[in-house]
Amino acid sequence: MSTNQSRHQLQTRETTVITADNTDTRPVALSTTRHQPGATRPGERMLATLLYVLLIVMALIVLAPLEWIMASSFTTRETVWANVLPFSWRALLPEEFTLAGYRGIFAEGFGRVILNTMFVGLTTTVLSVIVGSTAGFAFARFDFPGKTVLWVLILLSLMVPYEATVIPAYTLVNNLGWTNSWQALIVPAVANGTVIFLFRQFFAEIPQDLIDAARLDGAAWSRVLVGIVLPLTKPVVVTSAIIVFLAQWNSFFWPMLVAPAEEYRVVQVAVSILGVQQELRYWDLLFASATIAAVVPLALVLPLQKYYVSSITGSGLKG
Amino acid sequence: MTKVERSVPYLFLLPAMILLLFWRYIPIAMGLRESLYSNALSLTGAKTFVGLDNFRYLFDDPVFWSSVRVTAIFGIIVNPLQVALALALGVLVNQSLRGIGIFRTILLLPVAISINVAALAWGLALDTNYGLVNGLLEAVGVARQDFLRDPDQALPTMIGIVSWIGVPFWTLFILAGLQGIPHEVLEAARVDGANRLQTFLHVTLPLLRRVLLFVLVADTIANFTLFVPPYLLTRGGPGNSTNLMMYDAWKRGFVYGDLGSSAAMVLILLLVMAVVVIIQFLALRPQH
Repeated sequence: MSTNQSRHQLQTRETTVITADNTDTRPVALSTTRHQPGATRPGERMLATLLYVLLIVMALIVLAPLEWIMASSFTTRETVWANVLPFSWRALLPEEFTLAGYRGIFAEGFGRVILNTMFVGLTTTVLSVIVGSTAGFAFARFDFPGKTVLWVLILLSLMVPYEATVIPAYTLVNNLGWTNSWQALIVPAVANGTVIFLFRQFFAEIPQDLIDAARLDGAAWSRVLVGIVLPLTKPVVVTSAIIVFLAQWNSFFWPMLVAPAEEYRVVQVAVSILGVQQELRYWDLLFASATIAAVVPLALVLPLQKYYVSSITGSGLKG
Repeated sequence: MTKVERSVPYLFLLPAMILLLFWRYIPIAMGLRESLYSNALSLTGAKTFVGLDNFRYLFDDPVFWSSVRVTAIFGIIVNPLQVALALALGVLVNQSLRGIGIFRTILLLPVAISINVAALAWGLALDTNYGLVNGLLEAVGVARQDFLRDPDQALPTMIGIVSWIGVPFWTLFILAGLQGIPHEVLEAARVDGANRLQTFLHVTLPLLRRVLLFVLVADTIANFTLFVPPYLLTRGGPGNSTNLMMYDAWKRGFVYGDLGSSAAMVLILLLVMAVVVIIQFLALRPQH
């Protein structure tokens, strides 16, 4: 079998299994060789069964808490714990279906909170892709004095987790007078070591001829980056955008410190405020806000999942 | 090359480097400096240079040592556990079974969930008096457990909660690594008569070495600086049993107002982390 053929098979092996051979449930991940249909060994069938049992158990562990939060978000404050302890399967369905929780949080300004988070997330994402792609481009396609030192500094920023610098960074925000401001939420998150790293890895693999041709035609470097190089790195742009937006949407510690005012409240802070005030028993509000906090990133990540894996594969981390 | 031409890479780098300077390197330097100063005895918050006094103070504090112990136990269990489970899950969702795409999607869902939503959900689900997990346990005849309210169960419970997000997240990288292994290599092993286990141990695993090393190091860094679960769920308790160092450092700075020993504690945390990461790197780096 030629390399091309088997690579093609590698990409399509899943669909091959499903469409070409409906009776065959053998795992074929380790083999492209097709045995005669019906030659399934009992051992293989048992292995497949075992794998399905494992998959189902793992899927339940993942789905159960998510399903429970969502079901609880559609039930009333009073009945939310009705079927949990002692347990009945009804706990996984709303006891008395209601939208009171959602109405409640939006009446208390959750719509504004979502808009705030969207604004912070999207602004940071756009800036981060611009700053990260230009820096990645410089590291991938230029030789200049000080390059190694600067690259080591980028790697250092990846090695020192941001949590470890939160307290001094907070002091800095205070000294700049940025407490309770959009820039306190956005600016510190714009330069992202992971994003710079991903762009560098991908830009390094673009053929030099392509860039030389554009340069000979008289294109400026900025034009080469925006017009030629960036369109080729769509998976990295998408992945970086997801990484940055998710980080901002899911950010909690930083906004809690630097922007405690209600005007700048973001989703995770709002959810956690309800979460740590459990003695108030606003269960419907808590579950509704937690559901929104979880559903938005899921809706974003699910359709774009393939880019994520392909970017990681292409980042030089593979085998 | 013209002067303008030579300045191009620097112009491209300028925004990123200025931002990193302000928001990463200067805070790191400020933390180093802060650890040598004290505002602990000052009513006005004025700072005095105290040399290594903050470190001496920590080394004499039993709460510091208990926090070190909790962080060490946590790290020794959670990092190998998450890497091993992520490897197992990666191999599992990489199998070509019918419907595997659906399972792959489901099992990677927690990647998108924030750690505080996960912590809140599991905190409620594990509650002694009304939690879903205790409901299920009672349904199968097992006594209720205190989980996060029991000094012996709190840390293992927290390890479980953070792994619910951590394992799927690292699986993503291992899955990418597995899909990057050329099919011909696995086919060749099979032609040579290797069975599945032999192929995995002698072909797949060595080829995954770089990914596994990356995952172990990145996971270790993430878990060393874990803050949100103890903050939201246990406040370090009961009886300091979940008082991880990052949370203890935050408490010293923001609750007790002792920024010097807080910064000193973060610095100790970073140094220990660097040593652990270097050991991991030396022990597991690919041999070429």
